[in-house]
Amino acid sequence: MTESTSQTPGAGWYVYGVVRESGATTEVEALPTVASSDAHVTYVRHRGIAAVVSKVSDDRPLGTPDDLRAHAQVLDSLAAGSEPVLPFRFGTVLRDAQAVTDELLVGGYDDFMTALDRLEGSAQFTLRARYVQDEVLREVLDEQPQAQRLREELKHMSEDAGYYRRIELGQILAEAIADKRDMDAVEIDRCLAPLAVAVAPEEPGAADAVADVSFLVDGKRRAAFEEAAEDLARRWHGRIRLRLFGPVAPYDFVTEAMAGLGERR
Amino acid sequence: MMTVASSGNRYLERPSSGGLAEVVDLILDKGLVIDIFVRVSLVGIELLTIDARIVIASVDTYLRFAEAVNRLDLARTGTETRGLPGLMEEISEGGAKHKTKGAVEGVKDKAKEIIHGDDEDDDEDEEYENESEEADEPEEEEEPEPEEVKPRRRSRPASGKARDR
Repeated sequence: MTESTSQTPGAGWYVYGVVRESGATTEVEALPTVASSDAHVTYVRHRGIAAVVSKVSDDRPLGTPDDLRAHAQVLDSLAAGSEPVLPFRFGTVLRDAQAVTDELLVGGYDDFMTALDRLEGSAQFTLRARYVQDEVLREVLDEQPQAQRLREELKHMSEDAGYYRRIELGQILAEAIADKRDMDAVEIDRCLAPLAVAVAPEEPGAADAVADVSFLVDGKRRAAFEEAAEDLARRWHGRIRLRLFGPVAPYDFVTEAMAGLGERR
Repeated sequence: MMTVASSGNRYLERPSSGGLAEVVDLILDKGLVIDIFVRVSLVGIELLTIDARIVIASVDTYLRFAEAVNRLDLARTGTETRGLPGLMEEISEGGAKHKTKGAVEGVKDKAKEIIHGDDEDDDEDEEYENESEEADEPEEEEEPEPEEVKPRRRSRPASGKARDR
Protein backbone atom coordinates (compact mmCIF):
# COMPACT_ATOMS: atom_id res chain seq x y z
CA MET A 1 0.00 0.00 0.00
CA THR A 2 1.22 3.48 -0.64
CA GLU A 3 1.52 5.67 2.38
CA SER A 4 0.78 9.32 2.42
CA THR A 5 4.18 10.34 3.62
CA SER A 6 5.07 11.79 0.26
CA GLN A 7 2.53 14.49 1.02
CA THR A 8 2.61 16.69 4.05
CA PRO A 9 3.38 14.60 7.10
CA GLY A 10 0.44 14.48 9.44
CA ALA A 11 -2.04 15.52 6.79
CA GLY A 12 -5.07 13.28 6.66
CA TRP A 13 -8.16 12.38 8.59
CA TYR A 14 -7.93 11.83 12.29
CA VAL A 15 -10.29 9.07 13.43
CA TYR A 16 -11.86 9.35 16.89
CA GLY A 17 -14.19 6.42 16.69
CA VAL A 18 -17.18 4.82 15.08
CA VAL A 19 -20.88 5.35 15.82
CA ARG A 20 -24.17 4.39 14.24
CA GLU A 21 -25.46 7.00 11.86
CA SER A 22 -28.27 7.63 14.32
CA GLY A 23 -25.61 8.51 16.89
CA ALA A 24 -23.82 10.94 14.60
CA THR A 25 -24.88 14.04 16.47
CA THR A 26 -24.03 17.55 15.43
CA GLU A 27 -23.12 18.58 18.97
CA VAL A 28 -19.53 17.47 18.60
CA GLU A 29 -19.00 19.65 15.57
CA ALA A 30 -18.28 22.63 17.76
CA LEU A 31 -15.65 20.89 19.87
CA PRO A 32 -11.90 21.44 19.47
CA THR A 33 -10.25 18.89 17.21
CA VAL A 34 -6.97 17.04 17.38
CA ALA A 35 -4.02 18.77 15.75
CA SER A 36 -5.88 21.55 14.06
CA SER A 37 -7.25 24.88 15.14
CA ASP A 38 -9.65 25.42 12.27
CA ALA A 39 -10.98 21.94 11.52
CA HIS A 40 -14.34 20.60 12.64
CA VAL A 41 -15.45 17.20 13.79
CA THR A 42 -17.44 15.55 11.05
CA TYR A 43 -18.56 12.09 9.94
CA VAL A 44 -17.75 9.72 7.14
CA ARG A 45 -20.86 7.60 6.63
CA HIS A 46 -21.26 4.11 5.28
CA ARG A 47 -24.36 1.85 5.38
CA GLY A 48 -25.71 3.03 8.69
CA ILE A 49 -22.43 3.50 10.54
CA ALA A 50 -20.20 6.54 10.63
CA ALA A 51 -16.57 7.26 11.45
CA VAL A 52 -16.06 10.31 13.63
CA VAL A 53 -13.25 12.26 12.01
CA SER A 54 -11.63 15.63 11.62
CA LYS A 55 -9.09 16.92 9.22
CA VAL A 56 -5.52 17.01 10.41
CA SER A 57 -4.06 20.04 8.77
CA ASP A 58 -1.10 20.99 10.89
CA ASP A 59 2.32 19.82 9.92
CA ARG A 60 3.19 18.64 13.34
CA PRO A 61 3.11 15.35 15.19
CA LEU A 62 0.10 14.62 17.32
CA GLY A 63 0.36 14.52 21.03
CA THR A 64 0.10 17.91 22.64
CA PRO A 65 -1.98 18.10 25.82
CA ASP A 66 -4.71 19.80 23.81
CA ASP A 67 -4.67 16.94 21.32
CA LEU A 68 -5.20 14.43 24.09
CA ARG A 69 -7.99 16.47 25.61
CA ALA A 70 -9.69 16.97 22.26
CA HIS A 71 -9.65 13.24 21.59
CA ALA A 72 -11.24 12.48 24.95
CA GLN A 73 -13.71 15.32 24.79
CA VAL A 74 -15.13 14.32 21.42
CA LEU A 75 -15.52 10.69 22.45
CA ASP A 76 -16.88 11.39 25.91
CA SER A 77 -19.34 13.85 24.48
CA LEU A 78 -20.63 11.14 22.15
CA ALA A 79 -20.68 8.66 25.03
CA ALA A 80 -22.85 11.01 27.05
CA GLY A 81 -25.60 10.59 24.47
CA SER A 82 -27.86 7.59 24.16
CA GLU A 83 -26.01 5.89 21.31
CA PRO A 84 -22.90 3.75 21.69
CA VAL A 85 -19.50 4.85 20.46
CA LEU A 86 -16.43 2.75 19.67
CA PRO A 87 -13.35 4.76 20.63
CA PHE A 88 -10.17 4.38 18.63
CA ARG A 89 -6.74 4.60 20.07
CA PHE A 90 -5.27 8.05 20.23
CA GLY A 91 -3.27 8.91 17.16
CA THR A 92 -5.17 7.10 14.43
CA VAL A 93 -4.89 8.90 11.11
CA LEU A 94 -6.00 7.83 7.66
CA ARG A 95 -5.06 9.34 4.37
CA ASP A 96 -8.40 10.76 3.29
CA ALA A 97 -12.16 10.25 3.46
CA GLN A 98 -11.99 7.56 0.82
CA ALA A 99 -9.54 5.58 2.91
CA VAL A 100 -11.80 5.94 5.94
CA THR A 101 -14.62 4.35 3.98
CA ASP A 102 -12.73 1.74 2.01
CA GLU A 103 -10.16 0.62 4.50
CA LEU A 104 -11.94 1.16 7.77
CA LEU A 105 -15.73 1.14 7.49
CA VAL A 106 -16.06 -1.46 4.75
CA GLY A 107 -13.47 -3.80 6.18
CA GLY A 108 -14.64 -3.54 9.75
CA TYR A 109 -18.35 -3.25 9.08
CA ASP A 110 -19.59 -6.48 10.63
CA ASP A 111 -17.36 -6.19 13.67
CA PHE A 112 -18.36 -2.59 14.25
CA MET A 113 -22.04 -3.47 14.05
CA THR A 114 -21.58 -6.29 16.54
CA ALA A 115 -19.58 -4.17 18.94
CA LEU A 116 -22.08 -1.30 18.75
CA ASP A 117 -24.86 -3.72 19.60
CA ARG A 118 -22.90 -5.13 22.50
CA LEU A 119 -22.12 -1.77 23.99
CA GLU A 120 -25.63 -0.47 23.47
CA GLY A 121 -27.07 1.09 26.59
CA SER A 122 -23.94 0.93 28.71
CA ALA A 123 -21.19 3.37 29.58
CA GLN A 124 -17.79 3.27 31.18
CA PHE A 125 -17.12 4.56 34.65
CA THR A 126 -13.56 4.72 35.92
CA LEU A 127 -12.86 4.67 39.61
CA ARG A 128 -9.61 5.97 41.05
CA ALA A 129 -9.00 5.17 44.69
CA ARG A 130 -6.17 6.87 46.58
CA TYR A 131 -4.99 6.55 50.15
CA VAL A 132 -5.06 9.50 52.47
CA GLN A 133 -1.42 9.43 53.41
CA ASP A 134 -1.45 10.29 57.10
CA GLU A 135 -4.26 7.95 57.90
CA VAL A 136 -2.79 4.93 56.18
CA LEU A 137 0.62 5.58 57.74
CA ARG A 138 -1.01 5.71 61.18
CA GLU A 139 -2.69 2.41 60.47
CA VAL A 140 0.62 0.86 59.53
CA LEU A 141 2.36 2.19 62.62
CA ASP A 142 -0.44 0.82 64.78
CA GLU A 143 -0.12 -2.57 63.18
CA GLN A 144 3.65 -2.83 62.77
CA PRO A 145 5.55 -2.56 66.07
CA GLN A 146 8.82 -2.72 64.22
CA ALA A 147 7.98 0.34 62.19
CA GLN A 148 7.00 2.13 65.37
CA ARG A 149 10.30 1.17 66.99
CA LEU A 150 12.40 2.27 64.02
CA ARG A 151 10.57 5.55 63.94
CA GLU A 152 11.40 6.15 67.59
CA GLU A 153 15.04 5.24 67.11
CA LEU A 154 15.40 7.57 64.19
CA LYS A 155 14.30 10.53 66.24
CA HIS A 156 17.55 10.40 68.13
CA MET A 157 19.87 9.80 65.21
CA SER A 158 21.58 12.10 62.79
CA GLU A 159 20.58 11.92 59.18
CA ASP A 160 23.75 10.09 58.20
CA ALA A 161 23.67 7.66 61.08
CA GLY A 162 20.06 6.76 60.42
CA TYR A 163 20.37 6.24 56.72
CA TYR A 164 20.00 2.47 56.63
CA ARG A 165 17.35 2.45 59.32
CA ARG A 166 15.35 4.93 57.31
CA ILE A 167 15.52 2.66 54.30
CA GLU A 168 14.42 -0.25 56.44
CA LEU A 169 11.54 1.75 57.85
CA GLY A 170 10.48 2.91 54.41
CA GLN A 171 10.52 -0.60 53.09
CA ILE A 172 8.34 -1.86 55.92
CA LEU A 173 5.89 0.94 55.25
CA ALA A 174 5.85 0.37 51.53
CA GLU A 175 5.24 -3.34 51.92
CA ALA A 176 2.56 -2.89 54.55
CA ILE A 177 0.75 -0.44 52.30
CA ALA A 178 1.01 -2.88 49.40
CA ASP A 179 -0.72 -5.51 51.55
CA LYS A 180 -3.49 -3.09 52.42
CA ARG A 181 -3.83 -2.19 48.79
CA ASP A 182 -4.45 -5.79 47.85
CA MET A 183 -7.19 -6.13 50.44
CA ASP A 184 -8.84 -2.82 49.64
CA ALA A 185 -8.82 -3.53 45.92
CA VAL A 186 -10.68 -6.76 46.59
CA GLU A 187 -13.24 -4.84 48.60
CA ILE A 188 -13.82 -2.41 45.74
CA ASP A 189 -14.37 -5.31 43.43
CA ARG A 190 -16.74 -7.01 45.86
CA CYS A 191 -18.91 -3.90 46.20
CA LEU A 192 -19.01 -2.67 42.63
CA ALA A 193 -18.32 -5.49 40.21
CA PRO A 194 -21.70 -7.19 40.71
CA LEU A 195 -23.36 -4.00 39.44
CA ALA A 196 -21.28 -3.86 36.29
CA VAL A 197 -21.48 -5.68 32.99
CA ALA A 198 -17.70 -5.97 32.82
CA VAL A 199 -14.71 -4.90 34.87
CA ALA A 200 -11.25 -3.81 33.76
CA PRO A 201 -8.75 -3.30 36.56
CA GLU A 202 -5.50 -1.54 35.86
CA GLU A 203 -2.22 -1.77 37.61
CA PRO A 204 -2.08 1.53 39.44
CA GLY A 205 1.25 3.28 39.32
CA ALA A 206 0.98 6.05 41.86
CA ALA A 207 2.47 5.66 45.33
CA ASP A 208 -0.84 6.44 46.98
CA ALA A 209 -2.95 4.32 44.65
CA VAL A 210 -5.36 1.77 46.00
CA ALA A 211 -6.87 0.84 42.67
CA ASP A 212 -7.76 2.11 39.23
CA VAL A 213 -10.70 0.18 37.91
CA SER A 214 -13.00 0.73 34.98
CA PHE A 215 -16.54 -0.61 34.97
CA LEU A 216 -18.90 -1.03 32.08
CA VAL A 217 -22.27 -0.17 33.55
CA ASP A 218 -25.68 -0.74 32.06
CA GLY A 219 -27.80 2.40 32.05
CA LYS A 220 -30.49 0.64 34.08
CA ARG A 221 -28.05 -0.10 36.90
CA ARG A 222 -26.20 3.16 36.79
CA ALA A 223 -28.00 4.65 39.79
CA ALA A 224 -27.34 1.55 41.87
CA PHE A 225 -23.72 1.54 40.83
CA GLU A 226 -23.24 5.19 41.73
CA GLU A 227 -24.94 4.61 45.05
CA ALA A 228 -22.67 1.69 45.86
CA ALA A 229 -19.63 3.80 45.01
CA GLU A 230 -20.92 6.55 47.25
CA ASP A 231 -21.45 4.05 50.08
CA LEU A 232 -17.88 2.89 49.73
CA ALA A 233 -16.58 6.45 49.67
CA ARG A 234 -18.52 7.20 52.86
CA ARG A 235 -17.27 4.10 54.59
CA TRP A 236 -13.66 4.95 53.69
CA HIS A 237 -13.95 8.66 54.23
CA GLY A 238 -10.71 10.10 55.60
CA ARG A 239 -8.83 6.94 54.73
CA ILE A 240 -9.31 6.45 51.00
CA ARG A 241 -10.32 9.07 48.51
CA LEU A 242 -12.59 7.83 45.74
CA ARG A 243 -13.02 9.66 42.48
CA LEU A 244 -15.41 8.42 39.82
CA PHE A 245 -15.05 9.53 36.20
CA GLY A 246 -17.85 8.96 33.79
CA PRO A 247 -19.83 8.25 31.85
CA VAL A 248 -16.95 8.20 29.39
CA ALA A 249 -16.47 6.35 26.13
CA PRO A 250 -15.80 2.62 26.63
CA TYR A 251 -12.03 2.92 26.24
CA ASP A 252 -11.33 -0.15 28.32
CA PHE A 253 -14.04 -2.34 26.86
CA VAL A 254 -14.16 -1.66 23.17
CA THR A 255 -11.46 -4.12 22.22
CA GLU A 256 -13.20 -6.84 24.14
CA ALA A 257 -16.52 -5.94 22.53
CA MET A 258 -14.93 -6.28 19.12
CA ALA A 259 -13.23 -9.52 19.90
CA GLY A 260 -16.24 -11.13 21.46
CA LEU A 261 -14.13 -12.40 24.30
CA GLY A 262 -13.79 -11.30 27.87
CA GLU A 263 -15.49 -11.40 31.17
CA ARG A 264 -18.98 -10.24 30.42
CA ARG A 265 -21.22 -11.31 33.24
CA MET B 1 -14.07 14.52 30.31
CA MET B 2 -17.79 14.73 30.59
CA THR B 3 -19.44 13.80 33.76
CA VAL B 4 -22.94 14.22 34.88
CA ALA B 5 -23.33 16.12 38.09
CA SER B 6 -24.70 13.93 40.76
CA SER B 7 -26.05 15.80 43.70
CA GLY B 8 -26.38 12.66 45.79
CA ASN B 9 -22.63 12.18 46.05
CA ARG B 10 -21.35 13.59 49.28
CA TYR B 11 -18.22 11.54 49.77
CA LEU B 12 -17.58 10.25 46.30
CA GLU B 13 -15.77 12.80 44.16
CA ARG B 14 -17.16 13.29 40.69
CA PRO B 15 -14.67 15.47 38.85
CA SER B 16 -16.36 17.45 36.11
CA SER B 17 -13.20 17.65 34.10
CA GLY B 18 -10.06 15.68 34.45
CA GLY B 19 -6.59 17.14 34.55
CA LEU B 20 -4.21 16.22 31.82
CA ALA B 21 -2.77 13.36 33.83
CA GLU B 22 -6.23 11.90 34.20
CA VAL B 23 -7.00 12.24 30.52
CA VAL B 24 -3.75 10.51 29.74
CA ASP B 25 -4.56 7.69 32.13
CA LEU B 26 -7.99 7.36 30.67
CA ILE B 27 -7.26 7.29 26.97
CA LEU B 28 -3.65 6.41 26.42
CA ASP B 29 -3.09 2.94 25.14
CA LYS B 30 -6.85 2.40 25.02
CA GLY B 31 -9.29 1.95 22.21
CA LEU B 32 -9.37 0.12 18.95
CA VAL B 33 -6.18 -0.27 17.04
CA ILE B 34 -6.99 0.32 13.47
CA ASP B 35 -4.46 -1.93 11.88
CA ILE B 36 -6.55 -4.88 12.88
CA PHE B 37 -8.03 -4.18 9.48
CA VAL B 38 -5.47 -2.42 7.46
CA ARG B 39 -2.14 -0.86 7.91
CA VAL B 40 -2.45 2.84 8.34
CA SER B 41 -0.47 5.38 10.18
CA LEU B 42 -0.96 5.01 13.84
CA VAL B 43 0.78 7.59 15.88
CA GLY B 44 0.55 5.29 18.79
CA ILE B 45 2.02 5.19 22.14
CA GLU B 46 2.31 1.62 23.25
CA LEU B 47 5.50 2.24 25.10
CA LEU B 48 4.49 5.26 27.03
CA THR B 49 2.23 3.93 29.66
CA ILE B 50 4.94 1.59 30.70
CA ASP B 51 6.40 4.55 32.47
CA ALA B 52 3.17 4.96 34.34
CA ARG B 53 2.49 1.35 35.13
CA ILE B 54 5.89 -0.01 35.84
CA VAL B 55 6.33 0.02 39.47
CA ILE B 56 9.57 1.01 40.91
CA ALA B 57 10.81 0.14 44.32
CA SER B 58 13.84 2.22 44.95
CA VAL B 59 15.76 3.32 47.95
CA ASP B 60 14.58 6.79 47.13
CA THR B 61 10.98 5.74 47.52
CA TYR B 62 11.67 4.10 50.86
CA LEU B 63 13.42 7.19 52.12
CA ARG B 64 10.46 9.30 51.21
CA PHE B 65 8.12 7.00 53.07
CA ALA B 66 10.36 7.08 56.09
CA GLU B 67 10.45 10.84 55.99
CA ALA B 68 6.69 11.03 55.75
CA VAL B 69 6.15 8.81 58.73
CA ASN B 70 8.69 10.70 60.77
CA ARG B 71 6.85 13.94 60.15
CA LEU B 72 3.56 12.32 60.95
CA ASP B 73 1.72 13.72 63.90
CA LEU B 74 0.48 10.76 65.81
CA ALA B 75 -1.71 12.84 68.06
CA ARG B 76 -4.61 12.69 65.61
CA THR B 77 -5.48 16.29 66.03
CA GLY B 78 -8.77 15.81 64.33
CA THR B 79 -10.16 15.70 60.88
CA GLU B 80 -8.45 18.80 59.57
CA THR B 81 -5.31 16.94 58.69
CA ARG B 82 -7.22 14.35 56.80
CA GLY B 83 -7.42 14.72 53.13
CA LEU B 84 -4.91 17.52 53.05
CA PRO B 85 -2.34 17.28 50.36
CA GLY B 86 0.50 15.22 51.70
CA LEU B 87 3.62 13.58 50.54
CA MET B 88 1.80 10.96 48.59
CA GLU B 89 0.04 13.52 46.52
CA GLU B 90 3.30 15.23 45.86
CA ILE B 91 4.73 11.95 44.78
CA SER B 92 1.85 11.08 42.57
CA GLU B 93 1.56 14.53 41.07
CA GLY B 94 5.22 14.50 40.35
CA GLY B 95 4.79 11.13 38.79
CA ALA B 96 1.86 12.29 36.76
CA LYS B 97 3.69 15.30 35.44
CA HIS B 98 6.58 13.18 34.49
CA LYS B 99 4.32 10.70 32.86
CA THR B 100 2.46 13.27 30.87
CA LYS B 101 5.59 14.86 29.65
CA GLY B 102 6.92 11.49 28.68
CA ALA B 103 3.72 10.71 26.88
CA VAL B 104 3.75 13.83 24.87
CA GLU B 105 7.35 13.46 23.94
CA GLY B 106 6.84 9.82 23.20
CA VAL B 107 4.05 10.58 20.80
CA LYS B 108 6.32 12.92 18.99
CA ASP B 109 9.07 10.39 18.90
CA LYS B 110 6.68 7.85 17.59
CA ALA B 111 5.44 10.28 15.02
CA LYS B 112 8.98 10.93 13.95
CA GLU B 113 9.62 7.26 13.72
CA ILE B 114 6.60 6.68 11.58
CA ILE B 115 7.15 9.62 9.40
CA HIS B 116 10.83 9.13 8.93
CA GLY B 117 11.27 5.46 9.48
CA ASP B 118 8.59 4.37 7.09
CA ASP B 119 8.33 4.34 3.39
CA GLU B 120 10.30 7.38 2.49
CA ASP B 121 12.18 10.15 4.07
CA ASP B 122 11.31 13.72 3.63
CA ASP B 123 12.81 17.02 4.47
CA GLU B 124 10.79 17.79 7.55
CA ASP B 125 13.40 16.75 10.06
CA GLU B 126 14.26 20.17 11.31
CA GLU B 127 10.71 21.06 12.01
CA TYR B 128 10.15 17.97 14.09
CA GLU B 129 13.36 18.43 15.94
CA ASN B 130 12.23 21.87 16.94
CA GLU B 131 8.95 20.54 18.17
CA SER B 132 10.70 18.12 20.44
CA GLU B 133 12.96 20.73 21.86
CA GLU B 134 10.04 22.93 22.69
CA ALA B 135 8.51 20.13 24.68
CA ASP B 136 11.70 19.73 26.60
CA GLU B 137 11.64 22.86 28.69
CA PRO B 138 12.56 21.54 32.09
CA GLU B 139 10.07 22.90 34.56
CA GLU B 140 10.63 20.05 36.92
CA GLU B 141 13.78 18.37 37.87
CA GLU B 142 14.12 15.02 36.26
CA GLU B 143 13.21 11.91 38.05
CA PRO B 144 16.26 10.03 39.19
CA GLU B 145 17.02 6.75 37.57
CA PRO B 146 15.34 3.95 39.44
CA GLU B 147 17.85 1.75 41.07
CA GLU B 148 15.82 -1.30 40.62
CA VAL B 149 12.79 -2.13 38.58
CA LYS B 150 10.75 -5.01 39.73
CA PRO B 151 7.80 -6.51 37.98
CA ARG B 152 4.39 -5.55 39.30
CA ARG B 153 2.52 -6.50 42.40
CA ARG B 154 4.73 -6.23 45.41
CA SER B 155 6.95 -3.49 44.32
CA ARG B 156 4.75 -0.44 44.44
CA PRO B 157 4.86 2.45 45.50
CA ALA B 158 5.87 3.92 42.27
CA SER B 159 8.45 6.36 41.23
CA GLY B 160 7.86 10.00 41.62
CA LYS B 161 9.59 13.26 41.35
CA ALA B 162 12.64 13.54 43.48
CA ARG B 163 12.05 15.73 46.44
CA ASP B 164 14.21 18.64 47.25
CA ARG B 165 16.53 18.10 50.04
